[in-house]
Amino acid sequence: MHPLRRTLFPLVAGFLFLAVEAHAASVSVSAQLSRPQVNFGEMAELQVTVSGAQRADVPQEINAEGLQIRLSGQSTQVQMVNFKVSSSAVYTYVVLPLKTGNFTIPSVTVSADGQQFRTPSLRFSVVDAIATGTVAPGGVAPAVPSPAMPMPPQGLPMPGFQQRPRQAPPQSGAGRLAFGEISCSKKDVYAGEMVPVEIRFYFDARYPVQVRGKVDFGSEGVVIERFPDPKEGLEERDGLTYNVLTFKTLLSAVKPGTIDIPSAKLDSQIQLPGAVPAGFDDPIFRQLLGGQSPFAQNKEVKVQTAPLHLEVLPLPKEGRPASFAGAVGQFDLDALVQNPKPAPGDPVTFTLKIGGKGNFNGMGAPVLTETAGWRSYPPTDKFDNSGSAAGLAYSGVKSFDFTLIAQEAKQSSPGSEFSYFDPTSAKYVTLTTKPLPLDASPVSAASAASTGASSAASPSTQPAPSSGASSEKASPVKDGDPIPGITLRSWSTPLHRAEFLVATLAMLVATAALAGVLYLRDLQARGGTEASRRRRKLTELWSSLHAETLEAAATYDAAVEYAGLVALPSEKRDALIASLSARRDVVKYGSGGSLPVPSSEREQLLQTLKELSNKTAQ
Amino acid sequence: MKLRTHLLLLALGIFFPAVGLHAGVPEQGASADASLRSGHPLEALATYRSLLTSPQFATAGSPELWYNRGLAEEKTGDAAAASLSFRRALLLDPGFAPAQRQFAVVLGTLGLPTQNNWQAQVCGTIHPERLIIGGAVVGWIGALALVALFFLARSRKGWIAFALLLLVLGHGVSVFGTLIDPRREAASQAVVTSKNAPTLRATPADNGTAAGTVPPGTLISVLSRNGAWWYVAAGPGQTGWIPSDTVTSLLPTPSASSAKGS
Repeated sequence: MHPLRRTLFPLVAGFLFLAVEAHAASVSVSAQLSRPQVNFGEMAELQVTVSGAQRADVPQEINAEGLQIRLSGQSTQVQMVNFKVSSSAVYTYVVLPLKTGNFTIPSVTVSADGQQFRTPSLRFSVVDAIATGTVAPGGVAPAVPSPAMPMPPQGLPMPGFQQRPRQAPPQSGAGRLAFGEISCSKKDVYAGEMVPVEIRFYFDARYPVQVRGKVDFGSEGVVIERFPDPKEGLEERDGLTYNVLTFKTLLSAVKPGTIDIPSAKLDSQIQLPGAVPAGFDDPIFRQLLGGQSPFAQNKEVKVQTAPLHLEVLPLPKEGRPASFAGAVGQFDLDALVQNPKPAPGDPVTFTLKIGGKGNFNGMGAPVLTETAGWRSYPPTDKFDNSGSAAGLAYSGVKSFDFTLIAQEAKQSSPGSEFSYFDPTSAKYVTLTTKPLPLDASPVSAASAASTGASSAASPSTQPAPSSGASSEKASPVKDGDPIPGITLRSWSTPLHRAEFLVATLAMLVATAALAGVLYLRDLQARGGTEASRRRRKLTELWSSLHAETLEAAATYDAAVEYAGLVALPSEKRDALIASLSARRDVVKYGSGGSLPVPSSEREQLLQTLKELSNKTAQ
Repeated sequence: MKLRTHLLLLALGIFFPAVGLHAGVPEQGASADASLRSGHPLEALATYRSLLTSPQFATAGSPELWYNRGLAEEKTGDAAAASLSFRRALLLDPGFAPAQRQFAVVLGTLGLPTQNNWQAQVCGTIHPERLIIGGAVVGWIGALALVALFFLARSRKGWIAFALLLLVLGHGVSVFGTLIDPRREAASQAVVTSKNAPTLRATPADNGTAAGTVPPGTLISVLSRNGAWWYVAAGPGQTGWIPSDTVTSLLPTPSASSAKGS
């Protein structure tokens, strides 16, 4: 046998074997209800599975008393287990109860491979939860007519039910009071890649709902951005109107591998109308209560979505640039010098703006190139996503502000390089910017000296503090290094410090004391004040006037002087002085000038002078 | 003897405050410096915080310690807090060149303009404390000389005029130093230390009408304090209420030190 034939024969035989096996697999038909019992108002799903055939003919509608059963969709499953291929078709019917009670869903006739098959009949119960106080297993909450929007009468389909497209796939929440859905744009993601995720929670619009708490969503190995405020809306599903809360967030996987994120959950409370006792079902009674039923029941419901399955791929190591710092997405890079003509020694703010879509939170700063002659500091970053409608950190512009100080005269800024991984093309991309023109120079020695920086020999060193005890014996300290030594300085100005005020007061007192001492000393040197000298003279003259042995001429001399001192200038005083002077001349140049004044005359003279003195005192 | 010692210390404290208050180099400060040099700014920052809240710094501050703390804060990425520390270092010693440089760098990082008014330039050249105390000393010497000359050498008019000039000029310089001393208004100033720019509001409420934002690191004047809200002026015509937890007083206070780690 030809070698090729020897190789191909087993393969062909195996394939034929599998094909025959698949074809020869016996066709079987089964039927299964999603729930054997539902509350009135809820719906159930009936799945008719035809195994061993990929296609079968099934009825569009199944007749059953008290139930409405319609075909809603079809799916096909092909499985291969141990090289054994099996296929099955699943036909999904929606079962809508039209009344409460126990029902039998009749057997369904299915045609497959030219043969007729019949499913077994199934028992199905519909209970009135309000009346019985029970909730059907698996049911979210009983859907019963509300006062505000009553259910249609029994026996009639729900509004909008007929408009449901027949071939549409079955909805996960069909007929439920509340359900959730999750959608993720990608199932295969790269580690670090930001993926938008949308979570929607549906609530039957007929019943008031209160959402409790926050969305519970997350898993180990993924980072979920915080949920912004949800968007509210209305949506029709299977003929029912639902209030929809839509949460949009971002998800990124931390490490490669398979990640299954559990369902997103949201706690809520749905207000259901309760059974109205006899006598209280009057519409007037309801109107008195503002249209609200006093017998409403609050039902705590945890609404959840399907779990999310992700395959996380590692970032390729091949071709990874040196400047790659974790950015995953699609970006562009722009450079800007904020102050192209700074004063000597002043810093230059060099801004690099990264715009686009991706993991802005996880990206590192771009790398500066051509940095010779520059001293740079770690950048500060700022993210602006004001242009993003959802307010998520997925699209926007992130700015990195580098502070640069020229160590030599520079005419251009540094360049920059930024690398990211593009998940769409599965390749690394490197963006660069060229140096931008500017005019910067280092601080000059003169200006450094003026600010106390006496060491201009090396730009990388700086002196210790310009003042204080430690500065006296300062040694050069590297730029940015801590300065040893501690000097203490007051937080208050001297004017607010007690010691300064005390010293000022002391100086004031000292000055006053000095002035006082010198004044007294001067006074002492001059024999006291004029008044005291006058007083002293008057006392002296008055004593001599009383002296009985004093010559008459000397007595009148003393009297004239006394009159001149004791009183202020006045006509009377001048007249007295003139009279005394005349008398003095008489006794001086006439006879008796050397004799004492007679006692009577002395007494009169003293009396006159005393009156003059008293009048002046008055 | 005891009285003489007290008087001597008082005189030293008045005329040479740095000498009078010098406290040496505590081991704690040296340990923090070592942590900062070895690349552990967080550890250094914790030590500086602890050191600067100790009782010996209740009424006086150390420009070196505030500068070092600013460096640690700068290295941890907290530029707003670093700007406050450098401002405090310059408040204590306006001519502190390393603090001037680092302060300019931090302001550049924060996107704020550098401080460049003539008062700051004068203070950077000569410490206002020296102007105040030196001027007062000269003024009082002039006063004493004037008194002495008036009584002892009244005929020497030239000397009397010179003494009068000393009196007027000395006290004039002292008043000038007081007026330009940045510490004079520091009690009513604060710095925005939150990482995000807080919003100025027309009323002290979260839903008050927004009147603009104040960038981190900005020096503001506190016009009134009302619990958790301060009424501030952030610039010419830019006044409003701001949450007090977004700003820190320029002067460290015991309560601020413990509450905000300042």
